[in-house]
Amino acid sequence: MSWGDVGAGALRAAFPLALWGVVAATQAAWRRDGRFLASARMTAIATLALVTVASLAMVGALVSHDFSLHYVAENNARETPTYFSAISLWAALEGSILLWTTILAGAVVYVAWRGTRELPRLATTALALLFAMLSFFLLLVVTPAADPFVRLDAVPLNGRGPNPLLQDHWLMGLHPPLLYLGYVLFSIPFAYAMASLILGEGGDRWMVATRRSALVAWALLGIGIVAGGWWSYNVLGWGGYWAWDPVENAAIMPWLAATAYLHSVMVEEKRRMLRTWNLALVIGTFALTILGTFLTRSGVVNSVHSFSQSAIGPLLLGYLAAVLALSVGLLLWRSARLADSGPVAPISREAVFLFQNVLFVAVTLTVLLGTLYPLAVEALSGDQVSIGSPYFDRVAVPLGLALLFLMGVGPQLPWHGASRATLERQFAAPVVTSGALALVALVVGVRGTAAVLAFALAGFVCATVAQELARGIRARGTLHGESATTAFANLFKRSGRRYGGYVVHVGVAVIALAIAMSQAQAVQAEATLGPGGTMEVAGRTVVFEGLRDVVEPRRTQVVADLRVIDGGGSAPLVAALSYYPNATGAIGSPGIRSSATEDVYAILAAYDGRSRAWATIQIRIIPLVSWLWIGGAIVGIGALIAALPAARARERLVAATVPAGAGAE
Amino acid sequence: MRPRVAIALGTAALAVSIAVTALPRAEPQEDRVERISTELRCPVCQGLSVADSPSDMAREMRGLVRQRVAEGRTDDEIRAEFRQAYGDWILLSPPLLDARGAVWAIPPLAVIAGGVLVARRLRREAAAPVMVTPAQHAAIERRVLEEALAE
Repeated sequence: MSWGDVGAGALRAAFPLALWGVVAATQAAWRRDGRFLASARMTAIATLALVTVASLAMVGALVSHDFSLHYVAENNARETPTYFSAISLWAALEGSILLWTTILAGAVVYVAWRGTRELPRLATTALALLFAMLSFFLLLVVTPAADPFVRLDAVPLNGRGPNPLLQDHWLMGLHPPLLYLGYVLFSIPFAYAMASLILGEGGDRWMVATRRSALVAWALLGIGIVAGGWWSYNVLGWGGYWAWDPVENAAIMPWLAATAYLHSVMVEEKRRMLRTWNLALVIGTFALTILGTFLTRSGVVNSVHSFSQSAIGPLLLGYLAAVLALSVGLLLWRSARLADSGPVAPISREAVFLFQNVLFVAVTLTVLLGTLYPLAVEALSGDQVSIGSPYFDRVAVPLGLALLFLMGVGPQLPWHGASRATLERQFAAPVVTSGALALVALVVGVRGTAAVLAFALAGFVCATVAQELARGIRARGTLHGESATTAFANLFKRSGRRYGGYVVHVGVAVIALAIAMSQAQAVQAEATLGPGGTMEVAGRTVVFEGLRDVVEPRRTQVVADLRVIDGGGSAPLVAALSYYPNATGAIGSPGIRSSATEDVYAILAAYDGRSRAWATIQIRIIPLVSWLWIGGAIVGIGALIAALPAARARERLVAATVPAGAGAE
Repeated sequence: MRPRVAIALGTAALAVSIAVTALPRAEPQEDRVERISTELRCPVCQGLSVADSPSDMAREMRGLVRQRVAEGRTDDEIRAEFRQAYGDWILLSPPLLDARGAVWAIPPLAVIAGGVLVARRLRREAAAPVMVTPAQHAAIERRVLEEALAE
């Protein structure tokens, strides 16, 4: 039996099981029948086992170069190293949908076994919805739309090999699965929200119960996006990490909407407000994950015309339309039970959250419409227009700075409003810090208004976090008589959500600073040099030592050996162009020397093809860019702290949240 | 230092810094070349600008921009020349005053509409002064500390 038989068989067995799961979970929720719930649970396990077998069969086929499968022949070659063979599971459409399906099956098992214990009826209803989503994705992989196990009649001797960009850097093993995990885990809050509407619960239980799923999904998506930026910085060879490409926009839109959601849920928890709004945000976030998949997977972003050539495009669009119609319909049907109340003081934490939500939704909307605009123009008039970084930058920078400001203000304001004296006491240190950092920015030579503001606001945010920590330590000292270090540790242990959130804020401030500096203060130079030739960039001398050819089984490279000489000494740096048999152009492999203060980024732009007598070298000096990746890691650590609250406290919280309107379970 | 004084000083430092960045500066020719190049799309790349792309094509286009800048052409003239040659597609964002410039209106409209919606919900909660005994005061202080630690 071949890998293909195993995989195809497993998927074909999983599809009817998932359909049964919809029936069983629906029956379990409707009749409150424990036997159906038990059946749904076993079905969940069996489905996950089958799709996992299918994914592993695909990995096995890739690693063993089984070219009798169309997917392997298209995305693998005998020369492909094992690591890149294995991660080619997500090198193209069919494998990506298979990975997606596997993660979704995992989410189904989580809700079936864990969720139904906390909130039997709500989670069982959500489980039926998740089984329905799983059925849709299984339908894609058992029909020609995205069947990964299509066979070839004539087995080729060798495959085409993966897209060169996907076999050039280890980060490809990390970036796509993180994104998919983030995307798919948003299904859980969405399913609970819809279940709550179906059952007519007016309360917040769905939200409290899925708080952790939403946070984990948000964090994984965010880290996935940063990892993608890091990958593009290392592989695409232009010294940047973000180009507002439609594929990038597709990833950031759900993240932006989810960021708004994670904050506005706190308003609902504290003030019992914004119920409809939070449901709308969850629907929007989930719809954006599907839209993102549609945009990246249907080929529609290259041209509206490639859309009709893929079978998956119309199916995903239909799925999106169905999800939106059903969820918005449910929301309207139940809107009477989602009463909102209470005045909002203008200077209060909830007011800041409201404005923060407005800004996040405005950014999301801008990215969405900016991404769709060229498609709409092309579809309506046939003209091609571009909406690229000049547009998005000009919009995102002011809105981003405003958000950074609110990020510092929000945690400092109490709920329900504050007095003038409180405000002055709270903001004295942060405002002084921000003024001082603005001056520091000027002294180190920053001249852009946005970059100076980024300095000031990053300082503002960090100062508010430091002040909050100090306040918490003092409060624990007074209440429990703890020493400063014990109090510090206990703050993170006992109030992880809050203080983990502050760590996330620090990470975001670091990222903002890194973006501002790397964008505004980068220096570049270009020169065509013969061996031994030198160029000067920002106080450094770069020596071009010569070119050499490197021949590997899967590619050939032209490598430029460089030496960077600065005050601290000299170090070698290697920039290359790689040629893969299945790609027409060269793939750049920049040479990067990172330090805490700046990166030296070397690009081999052109060279003498005949005698290797000269090369055109581009050098970019990019300040603070490594802090972008470090900031991403800080965000991840903060989210981890926030996601790991004491389990008992969480259960108490779920139990204590009484649904309004509906009867108890 | 009293909080109010500190806030005044910090704000002043911030205002001075922003004012310094806003001072008019002569733009060196190479900066102008860079700025115009960021607004042009590299025809052979995936959505990269002429300034960012390391490709040969982009280098040639940068060279042409540099030449036009040296000849003393205005930004609009240079943009128009590329638009003539490649079509609207070559500009990475539509000009503001153009039939398709409407896309620039989306972000401000979204912020204003959202801001108005939120502002309509803002109400000042009436706060009357309340007299408390020292014992009540201690209890309140404790509550405040506990709330400071709550999630």
